[in-house]
Amino acid sequence: MHNCPPPKDALKDWLKQYPSVEDRYGHLLLEARKAPDTALVDALRPYFESAHLDAREHFHTQIGIDLHPDSDGGEAAPSYPRCLPPTARRGLFGEVAAGLATEAYQKTFLGQHAWVVPIFLFRYHADVEAYLWTLNFDPDRKRQIFGRFGSDFIGVALSDTGEVVRVIAGEAKWRKNLTESQVDGILLGPKKKNKKTGISEHNGRGVWYELNRDTPIPHGLRQLQRLLEARDPDGFAAAILSIDQAIAARDASFPRTNLLVIAGNGAATRSSSEPVIPWEVLPEEYTAPHDLQVVEMILDDGEELIDALYDSLWDAD
Amino acid sequence: MAERDAERIELAEQIRRELAIENEISSIQARSFVRCLQTTWDVDTIAWGDRDSNSQLSDARRLLHAAHIFQEIQGPESIGAMDCYRRAGELLEWMTRSDDSVRTLVPIEIMASAAYQLGKLPAMASGLLSQVGIEHQGVALYAAFLRADFDGVLSATNNFWAANPDLTTRDAGQLLSHEDVSDRVGSDIDPVAWLFTVELVRSLGLIADTLRTGNVSRFEQARKKLEALDQMALRTLSEDAALIVSLLQQVTESYARASVYEPIKTLAAMNPEREPRLLEFARDQFGRGRGMLWSSQILGLKRLTEGSSFALCTPTGSGKTLVANLALVKELLLRPAAPLVAPLALYIVPSRALAGEVETKLRSELGRDMIVTALYGGADWGITDFWLTGDEPAVVVVTVEKAEALLRYLGPQLIARLSVLIIDEAHQVVPDAKEQTIQRFAEHGSRALRLESLVSRVLTRKPEVARIALTAVAGGAAGPVARWMEGNAEAQAVGLRYRSTRQVVGVLETNPNAANRVLLEIMNGSLLTIRGRDDPVYLPLRIPNMPELPARMRNSLNRFNSTSVLWTAMHLAQEDQRILISVAQSPERLMEWFTEALALDSWAGVPRFERPDGFNGERFDEARATCLDYCGEESFELALLDQGIATSHGQMPQRLRRLMTEMIERRICPVTVATATLTEGVNLPFDLIFLTSLKRAIWDSANEERDEQPMSTAEFRNLSGRAGRPGASRGVEGMTLIAIPTRPSATAAGTIPLQRRQQQALSNDYEELRTRLLVEEGEQDSADSPLSALLRAIWDRAFKLGVGPDQFLQWLEITPAESISSTAGQDANDELSQLADALDELDAVVLAAIAELEEIDDQALSPAQAEEHLSSLWRKTFSAVAAAQEEWMQQAFIKRGLGVAETFYPTTEERKRLYHYGFTPLIGRRFEALFEPIRAILAASVGYGSLDAEARINIFEDIGHLLAADRGYGFRVRASVGDQAILESWPDVLGWWMNEPEVPGPGPKELRSWQRFTSDNLEFRMGVAIGAVTARIWQEGADNALAAPSLDTWKDTTGLPWFAFWARELLRWGTHEPFVAFALSQGVAKTRDEATERSDEYKTWLLAETGKQEPEDLIDPQLFLRWRASLPHTDAAAQAIRTFSASLSGTDGRHDRYSVTPIVRDGSIRWLDPAGFELAFSTDHVEAIPAKAASDDYVLEASASNTRVIRTFGKK
Repeated sequence: MHNCPPPKDALKDWLKQYPSVEDRYGHLLLEARKAPDTALVDALRPYFESAHLDAREHFHTQIGIDLHPDSDGGEAAPSYPRCLPPTARRGLFGEVAAGLATEAYQKTFLGQHAWVVPIFLFRYHADVEAYLWTLNFDPDRKRQIFGRFGSDFIGVALSDTGEVVRVIAGEAKWRKNLTESQVDGILLGPKKKNKKTGISEHNGRGVWYELNRDTPIPHGLRQLQRLLEARDPDGFAAAILSIDQAIAARDASFPRTNLLVIAGNGAATRSSSEPVIPWEVLPEEYTAPHDLQVVEMILDDGEELIDALYDSLWDAD
Repeated sequence: MAERDAERIELAEQIRRELAIENEISSIQARSFVRCLQTTWDVDTIAWGDRDSNSQLSDARRLLHAAHIFQEIQGPESIGAMDCYRRAGELLEWMTRSDDSVRTLVPIEIMASAAYQLGKLPAMASGLLSQVGIEHQGVALYAAFLRADFDGVLSATNNFWAANPDLTTRDAGQLLSHEDVSDRVGSDIDPVAWLFTVELVRSLGLIADTLRTGNVSRFEQARKKLEALDQMALRTLSEDAALIVSLLQQVTESYARASVYEPIKTLAAMNPEREPRLLEFARDQFGRGRGMLWSSQILGLKRLTEGSSFALCTPTGSGKTLVANLALVKELLLRPAAPLVAPLALYIVPSRALAGEVETKLRSELGRDMIVTALYGGADWGITDFWLTGDEPAVVVVTVEKAEALLRYLGPQLIARLSVLIIDEAHQVVPDAKEQTIQRFAEHGSRALRLESLVSRVLTRKPEVARIALTAVAGGAAGPVARWMEGNAEAQAVGLRYRSTRQVVGVLETNPNAANRVLLEIMNGSLLTIRGRDDPVYLPLRIPNMPELPARMRNSLNRFNSTSVLWTAMHLAQEDQRILISVAQSPERLMEWFTEALALDSWAGVPRFERPDGFNGERFDEARATCLDYCGEESFELALLDQGIATSHGQMPQRLRRLMTEMIERRICPVTVATATLTEGVNLPFDLIFLTSLKRAIWDSANEERDEQPMSTAEFRNLSGRAGRPGASRGVEGMTLIAIPTRPSATAAGTIPLQRRQQQALSNDYEELRTRLLVEEGEQDSADSPLSALLRAIWDRAFKLGVGPDQFLQWLEITPAESISSTAGQDANDELSQLADALDELDAVVLAAIAELEEIDDQALSPAQAEEHLSSLWRKTFSAVAAAQEEWMQQAFIKRGLGVAETFYPTTEERKRLYHYGFTPLIGRRFEALFEPIRAILAASVGYGSLDAEARINIFEDIGHLLAADRGYGFRVRASVGDQAILESWPDVLGWWMNEPEVPGPGPKELRSWQRFTSDNLEFRMGVAIGAVTARIWQEGADNALAAPSLDTWKDTTGLPWFAFWARELLRWGTHEPFVAFALSQGVAKTRDEATERSDEYKTWLLAETGKQEPEDLIDPQLFLRWRASLPHTDAAAQAIRTFSASLSGTDGRHDRYSVTPIVRDGSIRWLDPAGFELAFSTDHVEAIPAKAASDDYVLEASASNTRVIRTFGKK
C-alpha cells in the first residue's frame, strides 16, 4: 500500500501555487521556483518509492519467472522502475505527480475533499496496449485498436467509516515543452489532415474526449478495488463494499471529480504565472457532468529531475 | 473483511436477480436476443441504438463483477457465479453475433467466450468463436485459447515466433533485466508493454502445450507466470485489457481442473503397465478437441474411477461417449483378464445408424487396443466378425434386436466373455403411451420390452458384469435407470441437468400471403419470459412472402403449412443454417408436395442449390447415383436431392440412408426431410428443426378406426435435442419450431370452416405438448416400465373377458395362449386374440430366461429352480425398480413362467428350439413345420453361383411362398388397399428389390410402400425365417455350446451351400449377387451397377487363381476376401519421416528431453520450446514438416552423441 505522506515542505520550497476555484472548475498552477537539486530529489524519493512499491513487487515477480526450459529461476536482477527507458519514466512520473498533487494540494482543490491514493495504477500508454491485440511490434505505426483506454490516475475520498464517498480520476500528461501546440495536442488529440480542406486539424480524441465519455463507474475503479482486496482487505473492507454497492446500483455512482494533470517545462515564450489552460472559466470542450480539477506543473529542467529521481529509486539496493 | 462478506454476497445476489435469473430475461435482453437471431439469419433487425449497446455492455461488466464477488467469497464452484457468468456470456454473445459496433470498443467475443468457459458452458464458448470473424492476431490467439483449441494456440504462437526470431534467444525472457533493453527491443518507446505481450504469448503457448501433453511441472511454471502477468495487467493495463488477461488466467485455472489426464492417471493406477497407452489416449483426446472435460464428464469419470456400474444422465451432446469409452478401457484393458477368455463389451444402441457412428468413433480411438465391430449385415454374424474367434478384447456395437439374436446364437460364449454392458439412450426402456397398449404387445412390437428382457436376463446370468447406462435427462427415467444399473434401491444417476448449448422451442407462424414469424417460447426447458411482462418474444423473419399457392395446394391446410415451412427453410438455408423438416409419418407425401412446389413457376426465384465442387461434389454424385439406383429416375427423393434436400426414413435402403446422412453431415444438403428414425441418437449438424405436425395417425385395428396419437414428450425431446449439437452444428443454439398457420389458407368458403378447426387443433396439440414439456422438466423419480405394462395390459384384458382378480394368478398358470383364441399368433385384432398374443409375448420373455439357463447347465430346470430363477430375474428387471410395483406382478410373472415350463412348453428340447428360432413360442411352434422345407430349399441351392438372375430369385420366391400366407412369422401389411395390393403381388416387389433385370419398379408415389414391404417382410421377416433355420442347423452341427462360427468351418458344420450364408445379406442389399453384397458392404463399389461390373474382375482373378469357376467358388466369401486382399494398397502416408537429426542452439541439453515444436525459417527447421525459445535446429527434411505441425508433438533428445528430434504424436 502507498502510505508515505507528500513532502509538503520540500514542495513548498520548490513550487509556487496559483490556485483558483470557479463554480465547478478548479485550477492549480504550480510553477517551479528553482531548478531541481539533490535535496529535492532526496525529498521526493520516499514518496515515489512508496507509490511504485506495489507495482515493483509484481513487476519483479513476473520478470523473475523465466519460462526457458533450462531456467533454474532466480538469476534475474531487474530493478523496476529504474530499468525503464526515458519515455516510460516520464509517463510514470506524470502518474505519480498526479497523486502527489492530489494528496499535497487538496486544500486548494475544488471542494477540498480529503483525497487518498491507497495504491497507484501505472497505465501503459494507450497506443502500446495495441501490441496486446495485434501481436505486432511496430514503433512507427501505432494505433489504438479498441475503444477507450481509461484514466491514468484514480484516488478516493473516504468517509469516517471508510466507505468511498467520492472518486477522483483522470489523466496525467508529461510533455518536455508545454508549447501551445503540444498542449492543444493533449487536449484535443493529434492533428490529422482534413481530406476535404487539406488543412491539418485536431482529431478531437484528446483528454477532453476521454474525460467526457468515461463510464459512470470510472474505468480503473474495479482494478483499484481488486488491489485493495489483495493488499489490505480488512483495512479497506468498507471501501471495497461501497464500490460493490456502486456497481450493483445500475444508474447510481459516486460523486466524482475529473482530474487533468499536465506537467512539463514551460515554453520558451511563457511568462511567469501564465497558465497553459485558462483558469477563469470551465473549458467549453469539457462537457462531462462532473467537477473538473486542472493541475499544471510548470518545471525547469524537468527531465533532469525525472532522470535523477528515477536513477535514485531503490539505489541503495 | 469477513463480516462484510454477507453484505457483498447480497449485492452480488442483487445483480444476479436483476440480470441473471435463468431463462428469465429482461425486455432489453429479449430484444438483444431477437436482434442476434435476426442477424444470424440475415433478415432485417429490430431498432437498436448505441445506448442499448452500452447498457448491455455495462450489464455484462456488472455480471462479471458479481461473479467475481461470488467466487471471492464462495470459491470457484459458486452457483451464483455460474449464473452470472452465463448471463454475461449471453449478453456479450448476442451483441457479438449482432455485429454490434461495441466490438470496436472491446473484443466482446473474447469476454463472452471466457464468461461461458467460466460458466461451464464450453460448447457455447467454442460455438460462438467459430462463428465470428477475428481481425487481430492477438485476439485470434486468445480466442483459440478460450475455445480450448490448443493446437490453434500453438499454431498462432509459432507464427508469432517465426515473425520475431529475436525473441527466441536464450536470454529473451530476461530482456527487462538488461540495462540496454530499449536498444535490444529496438525502440525507446515503453518496451514493457511489448515485453508483457511477449511473455503472455510465451505463457499461453506453454500452457497449451503442457495441457495437451499432460506435463504437470512446466504447466505449473506457466500458470505462475500467467498469474504474475495478471497481477501486472491489473496495475498497468486498461480495465478491459486487464479484464481479459484476468479471464485468461481464470480460464487456465478451470482448465487445470478439467484435464482428461487427471481421471486417466487415476485409472492407470489400476494397471501401471498400461499407463503409457492411457496417456496416449489422453493425448489423442486433445488431438480431437476433447481433452478438456465438461462438468458432466468430470462427474461421470469420477464415478467410473470409484465404481463399475452407474447411470450417467446428461443432456444430449455433453460428451457421454468419452465416459463410455473410458469404461471400455477400464473393463477391457485394465482389469486383469481371466485366462484364455478375451473380455467383451456389448454396447447397445437404439438404431443401426447409431451403431455405425459409435463403431467409427470407437474404432478410431481404441481400434489399436480392441476389436470394435458393429454388426450391419443381414446375418447374425458376417465375414468380418473376427471378434468371435479372436483372443483380443472386443466391443460389439449392436441394436437390441441384434443383441437378442447374438445371445440366442452364441449365448454361452458371449456371456462367458462379457465384461461390460453399455446401454446408450437407456431411457428408451421407458415405454411411451402407445407402447403400453395391448395392441402393441400383441404385435410383438415393443422395443422397450425387448431391451428390458435382454438386459435383465444378462444381469441375471452374469450379475458381476459392469454396466453403464447413458441416458437423457428429463422424463423421470434417470433415477429408475440408475437403480436398475446399480441394483441398489438408493442409487442416483450421475450427471447434471443443464444443456450444453441453448435449446429453443417455439412456433413458426405460417401466414397465407403474408410474412411468417417465429414465436420463441421455451428456452432450455423453461418458459422464456420477459421479466415483469407477459409479452411473448417474437422474431419477425422478414423473408419474402410465399406466393399464393394454387387452389389444389392451399385447399389442404396441412399442405399449405408444410409448403410454407419449405419456403422458409429454403430462404434461411442461404445463411449457412442446416435445417431439418421432421415429419411424423408418410414422408412420401411431404416429398411429393415439396417436389411439386419447387416446380411451380412462382417459386422460380427461390434460392437454389448448387452441387459443390471437389470432394464434396464427388460424395454428392455418389449419393445421387445410389438414389437413382434404389429409387429411380422419377422418384421424389432424386428430385429433392437435386435441389439440395436430403431425405431419410426408416424404410429407405440402408446404403442410401447412410449416404443421405453423409450429405447432411458434410453439410452438402442444407435442408433435410426425414422421419424420426434419422435422428435417433445420431449427431447431425442441424441448427433448426421444423415440425409440421405433433400427431401421428394410427390404425386401431381392434376397433377398425383411425386414431391420432400425440407425439410423446420423450420423442419430442429426443428430436429437439438434435438441434444445435455442440461440435456438429454451428453450435451455440438449436431451435425447434412447430409450424402453425395463423389462418386458413383456402379461399373457398366451403373449406374455410374445416381449416379453422384444423388450425385450432394444431394449436391445441402444441399447447398440450408445451404444458407436458414444462411439467416434466421438473424432477421425477419414477417411470413406466414395459414388463409391468405388459402384465397390466394382460390383467386388464383378462378382467374384461371375465377373469376375476382372485382367479388371475391361477388362470395365468394354466391357460396356454392358443386356448384363448383360435386365431392366436396370427395378427388377429379381436380382443381374445390380442390377449392370447400378449400372453405369447410374455411367454417369450420367460421362455428365453428358462431356456438360457438350461443351455448353460445343459439340463432341465426343476419347478423349484425355475421359480427361483424367475424370481431372481424379476428382481433384475427395470419394472422392479422403475416405480412402486404391486405385489401381484412378481407373482404373475413367476406363475406364468411355471406354466410355460411345466405345462405349455414342457420339454427342454422344444424350449431350446423355440428359443433359438427367436419367434414368440406360439409362432415358433408353427414355424417348426417350415424348418424342413426351408432347409431343403437351402440345401438344394448348390448351383446358385452360376444361376441366372431369374433362377436365383425363384429360390427366394420359393421360400417366400412358404411364408406369405402366415400372419405370425410370415408377411404382414397394413389394412390399407394399397398395401393389400402389394401383398397380393409380392413376387413383383421381390424381383424389383433383388434387382432382377427388366423387372419394373414402383412409381414415385408407390415407392415408399414398396420400400416398406421390402424392409418389413423381405429384409426382416424372410430374413428372420432363413436366419432361424440356418442358426438351428449350425447349432445342431456344432460340437459344443461355446463354439463360434467361422468361415473356415461354416460349411462343414452346417452342410449347407454358400447361398444359405448369403441369403440374408442379399435381402439386405437388394441384390441376388453375393459379390455385389460383398462389394457394397466392404466399400469396394458404390452402387449395385458398379459392383456388378467389378464382379467380372473377381471372376477373372478366380480363374487365374484356381483355374476354374465352380459355382460355389463364385460365391465363396473366403475367396472374396482373398481377392480383396490381392488389390493394391494405397497407403503412402505411413511412410512419413518421424526422426530429424538436430543441432542444439538455445540449450545446453541439461534435461536430455525437451518438448519442441517446429517452425521453418530460412530453409531450416527451428525447434522451439512451446514458450518460444529456440532450442535446436535441423537442416534436413525441412519438407517433412507438415503445415499443421503445431498440432503434433515433437521431442528433442539432447544426448551428446546423437541429438535428434522425434515426432511422438501426429494428429489424425
